[in-house]
Amino acid sequence: MTHSLQDMRPQAAVAAKVFIQRDYTNGTVCQFQTKFPSELETRIDKQQFEETVRMLNNLYAEAEKLGSQSYIEGCLACLTAYTVFLCMETHYEKMLKKIAKYIQEQNDKIYAPRGLLLTDPIERGLRVIEVTIFEDRSLTR
Amino acid sequence: LPVLTASAPPRPFRPSRYVPVSAATTFLVGSTTLFFCFTCPWLSEYFSSVIPIYNAVIFLFTLANFCMATFMDPGVFPRAEEDEDKEDDFRAPLYKTVEIKGIQVRMKWCSTCRFYRPPRCSHCSVCDNCVEDFDHHCPWVNNCIGRRNYRYFFLFLLSLTTHIIDVFGFGLVYVLHHRQQLDTPHAAVTMAVMCVAGLFFVPVAGLTGFHIVLVARGRTTNEQVTGKFRGGVNPFTNGCLRNISHVLCSSQAPRYMGRWRSQQAVEVQPPFLRPPLTEAQLEAKILDNGIQNDRHSTRSKSSLDQMESQSADAEPPPPPKPELRYPGLPRADTEESSLLTEAPPTPSMYKYRPPFNRGMSGYSLTGRSYTSYPSSLVLSTGGSRSSSLRSAHTAHNPLTTLQSEGTTDTSYKSLANQTPRNGSLSYDSLLTPSESPEFESVVSPSSPLQGYTSPFLSAQIAQQREGQLLQGSATFSSPHRAYLRAVSPPPSSGPPETQHLLQHNQDFSSSRAPRNPSSSSSSPGARSLEPPVSPPPRGLSLGKSLSYTGEAGPQHKPRPAGGGTVLGGGGVGGGQQAPQ
Repeated sequence: MTHSLQDMRPQAAVAAKVFIQRDYTNGTVCQFQTKFPSELETRIDKQQFEETVRMLNNLYAEAEKLGSQSYIEGCLACLTAYTVFLCMETHYEKMLKKIAKYIQEQNDKIYAPRGLLLTDPIERGLRVIEVTIFEDRSLTR
Repeated sequence: LPVLTASAPPRPFRPSRYVPVSAATTFLVGSTTLFFCFTCPWLSEYFSSVIPIYNAVIFLFTLANFCMATFMDPGVFPRAEEDEDKEDDFRAPLYKTVEIKGIQVRMKWCSTCRFYRPPRCSHCSVCDNCVEDFDHHCPWVNNCIGRRNYRYFFLFLLSLTTHIIDVFGFGLVYVLHHRQQLDTPHAAVTMAVMCVAGLFFVPVAGLTGFHIVLVARGRTTNEQVTGKFRGGVNPFTNGCLRNISHVLCSSQAPRYMGRWRSQQAVEVQPPFLRPPLTEAQLEAKILDNGIQNDRHSTRSKSSLDQMESQSADAEPPPPPKPELRYPGLPRADTEESSLLTEAPPTPSMYKYRPPFNRGMSGYSLTGRSYTSYPSSLVLSTGGSRSSSLRSAHTAHNPLTTLQSEGTTDTSYKSLANQTPRNGSLSYDSLLTPSESPEFESVVSPSSPLQGYTSPFLSAQIAQQREGQLLQGSATFSSPHRAYLRAVSPPPSSGPPETQHLLQHNQDFSSSRAPRNPSSSSSSPGARSLEPPVSPPPRGLSLGKSLSYTGEAGPQHKPRPAGGGTVLGGGGVGGGQQAPQ
């Protein structure tokens, strides 16, 4: 079978990046603004996007929660002179893994088909969610 | 292939940084070892072996916390990627205000790290990093204390205090039982250890007490020492018990640096799905061509209306960076728009943030060795003068005015959490630094902490402080003037630049009352239009604008007497301030 040019299309070019900023209205807890940015109006449903950000906010709230998990972890760490950190993953790290998986899944199912890509905010120090908008060459044809 | 998050560029090796931490380690380990070797054997025989075991446990706990405080990343933010800073620096504000639990808090632009510092974040000049929930830079552990390691630092202080008390106490027991044999080496060593313990007890216990109060009140050292909450409300507190449990029991915060980045395995290729457009959207689309750009440019123009080109460079401001990085999409200032719709704009805050590649041009605010305080608002005068600025700036500013009870001089001397950028103004080093990063406070070199305003103050209190600010600002202008003379170009070259800048300003602020370039003091008419800005003393008003939410600027406009003269004398060419 011959390779047509279609099959060898490179990844779409980046057209723009939108940065979803942190929402500090409740202090320094990790929350992102759910306000729908105008650049995405033509690319994705408002509801869909807000749902993603809300879910992320919930996951981060869960990570920072002062629950029994974190108390036990703290006590154990103290008792073992913090050597437990060498073998055990902290609650926050576990949640971060969950978040990374969620973002990957959202990208695969929802964002990539629309020419968008979410970057895990941990790569930006939990300051912004970077949404990369790809150029839709099909429009220019 | 996975990629590590980029860390800051390697810094020059400075052996002097390691002196305090080496001394601390030596004293701690050395004294304790002597205690165990000379005092404990007798104690375990005479009383019980629980004593050395107990002391060993406390000592190990102290050492573990010491190591964690020393080696753990305090919460360093990675530098922002270039793409994030897509706004034209020329138009971007130096500060962004955000409302936290009803209180306006300012986020300052960090020119080193290229982002607006999150609340409670501060840039450490020693480490040259922005640190989350910055507490202070501790020389005894040679590390910043921030969100991730504050808990260990606090526990280190508690356990060290306990350990010192134990060593001193048991040593005393030994000495009291060996009153007749004080000439033995064991007794001598015990007494020596007791002396060391007694000596360190006072500062350590004092610092511990200080931090207990801070934890209970939910404040950082930085906030306490710069007086951010004096007379105001702390938006970051959740009550004493919650504050304590947050420090001690929250899950270990993740580090941002040195993380493995997952490479996107997702393929993104057109054709892309599109959401269905509504009728209105379709209509708007048709009408939209070209309009969006205009809309945007008026917005930026209006932001410039409010922008006080307060400290203009000697050189004319650079042309706006072309936004051609991503052509083809309507440009919307997401950063600005998201904040503009959520927080009232702070007109006087629109200062120009100089572009990155002009290393020199002014981020003078970071010039303060201590904080990134905006009140200096003086942009540097350009590359050619950077050498003089740099040399003047490297001096460490002693923090004589900022002693809190129970703290030693040494532990606060290195509270410097702000890096003066290499090109930034040494002007700042002439002033006594004592402000918080986000706050306007005026500190004249002579009087400590006079007349500063906290962003958390209500507008009324801020108004009352205006009087103080005016006084403070008058003294402010003199060192400033002196600096100007030393650094500014000869007056003859001033006026043309001044004219140019004025021209430039006027182009942007068509709605302003016409300004007379030669008059240093703004006419009452002009003054009523917008908040004053240029001379650093004037910068005080910025603090006030911060503290009120959307109040009209005109009420808060101190016009320090000094400001006008400086303007007339040095001229804008000195790179000092924008003409009114």
